[in-house]
Amino acid sequence: MFLFFQLPEFWRTLLTSLIGLLTLVGIMTRPWRWNESRIALTGAAVLLLLGLIRPADAARTLLRDWNTFLFFLGMMGLSAMAEAAGLFDWLAVQAARFARRSAARLFLNVFLLGTVITMIFSNDATALILTPVVYVLVTRLRLPVLPYMFACTFIADTASFLLPISNPINIIVLSRFPLDLFSFLRLLLLPSLVVIAINFAIFYLLYRSQLKGVTFHPDRLPTVERAVKHKAYFRYTLWVLAIVAPSYVIASAFLFPLSTVAVAGALLLLAGALFWKRTTLAEAAKGISWPIFGFIAGMFIVVRAIEDTGLTMKLGKLLLHLSGGTKFGAVMVGTFGAALGTNLINNVPMAVVLNSSLGSIQSAAPAIRNGFVAATIFGCDLGPNLTTVGSLATILWLLILRQRDVDVSGLDYFKVGVLVTPIMLFAGALTIWLLL
Amino acid sequence: MRILGCLDGTNAEQISRAVQMFSAIEPLAIALLTVIDVGPRRDIDRMRERFGRPPMHHQPLTEEMMAAEDAAAQETLNAGLLYVKDAETMLRQGRPELEIVNAAAEWRADVILICARTEYGEPPHIGPRSVGDVARFVLDHAPCLVLLVRPLAREQFPIER
Repeated sequence: MFLFFQLPEFWRTLLTSLIGLLTLVGIMTRPWRWNESRIALTGAAVLLLLGLIRPADAARTLLRDWNTFLFFLGMMGLSAMAEAAGLFDWLAVQAARFARRSAARLFLNVFLLGTVITMIFSNDATALILTPVVYVLVTRLRLPVLPYMFACTFIADTASFLLPISNPINIIVLSRFPLDLFSFLRLLLLPSLVVIAINFAIFYLLYRSQLKGVTFHPDRLPTVERAVKHKAYFRYTLWVLAIVAPSYVIASAFLFPLSTVAVAGALLLLAGALFWKRTTLAEAAKGISWPIFGFIAGMFIVVRAIEDTGLTMKLGKLLLHLSGGTKFGAVMVGTFGAALGTNLINNVPMAVVLNSSLGSIQSAAPAIRNGFVAATIFGCDLGPNLTTVGSLATILWLLILRQRDVDVSGLDYFKVGVLVTPIMLFAGALTIWLLL
Repeated sequence: MRILGCLDGTNAEQISRAVQMFSAIEPLAIALLTVIDVGPRRDIDRMRERFGRPPMHHQPLTEEMMAAEDAAAQETLNAGLLYVKDAETMLRQGRPELEIVNAAAEWRADVILICARTEYGEPPHIGPRSVGDVARFVLDHAPCLVLLVRPLAREQFPIER
């Protein structure tokens, strides 16, 4: 409605900021049990209705980020189709076979498997598909469940900056600040390996009493036939993935949109699944989380409106100021700022906000700019490990429950996250700084 | 006397030895309880929420998870029955600490037998944190006597004065 009469700039800024802030607070607190998607879309709708962002600008913002939307679609499709082929069950069984009865070796194998799955399918697949698969496996093997659950949930984030496709957040950041594969690997491969090693070492120390010397009986392992429900489709899936994985690498190297590879791979797998009657279109659609698209679209529009007020630019300048104009400052401020933000408002909105803010550091020296970009990816990817099973708001709620004498396992994740995540953040950030 | 033995999949022998200590008492009713911990499933649901997914209901994987849990729990109870033949068995689902104290109250147990913590690998130790969260909660909230069962640890003595 403000489109039809002039509103002073100050009031526009105030109103836009207020709606943006309420949207972020809503995502943190989820009033009336609304999901994030509904909250983000409501924020965007209010901004559009009040004329605080032009519909054409909103549409342009969404069209500009088509690669992100399609990547989410392709990534979820690939994971769902690979799950239908029984790939994750089969990999988990192989991990147990290679462990040769040892619970400690299986623990290491789960870490390695989580790393590979995250690298190729993204963190989503490890956290959501591998975790329950490993839970079933260790329950069958009569092993302690918790260490393996922690291994899966943490490695999903810890290994999610090995490649650009390992986390959709990377795609969001890289769509605005493109880094070719060589630059990405130069800045983030070594930090990835460092934090994966730290993660494994600390977890092994924490759970050694439950793993050391413990063995399992291989007879309890499910057979390969049980894991692989349809051999031809399973083999086909392996072939498609053998093409998709190097295609990702080639596409990253030439800055070709990664979403096209993900969607093409998902479509190939879907065609195979339909051919061998392993799924139907309706079932395949269920494997996609459609509200995520609403959430991302809503966030893109809200942050675009805030960007137009110049607020995110001011945040970018503040970050640059806090960094003291040094590479070390850029990496540390970027990493810890992003990590804190992801625990407050979830990593997708945080990445979108930081992406917009970093627009103002384009004039900074290339090393500082790259430092901020790498730190944003690193902090937004690894930061969620602090509260793993939710945001800080969830943890506060769990703490309240604990005070009421209700034992809450979610807090166990928080205790471990608080112990391991700051160490990993610091070590990884230090490595990025050394590589700049 | 009504005795409720809590089995965790690793302690059937220890609980049975503790039961034997009461064998002279007549009449003696023994129940063996094991609880399927729903915590991991709730954690997976919370994780799904973080990734914008609905809870894991009605999925083939959920059924597999529940089947694996049931089989493990049944095996735990059967292992207990090998030692305590005439015992009644109870299988519950929920948070173990809550289910144990509630089962003790409902079954009108006189004594709860519970191990200090689940021991998978290294031999149990005495000292700080040797009593796990579940046993600690049961000690705090039990409606009856609680016997904390732990292996002999005489070799870990004397404690430095």
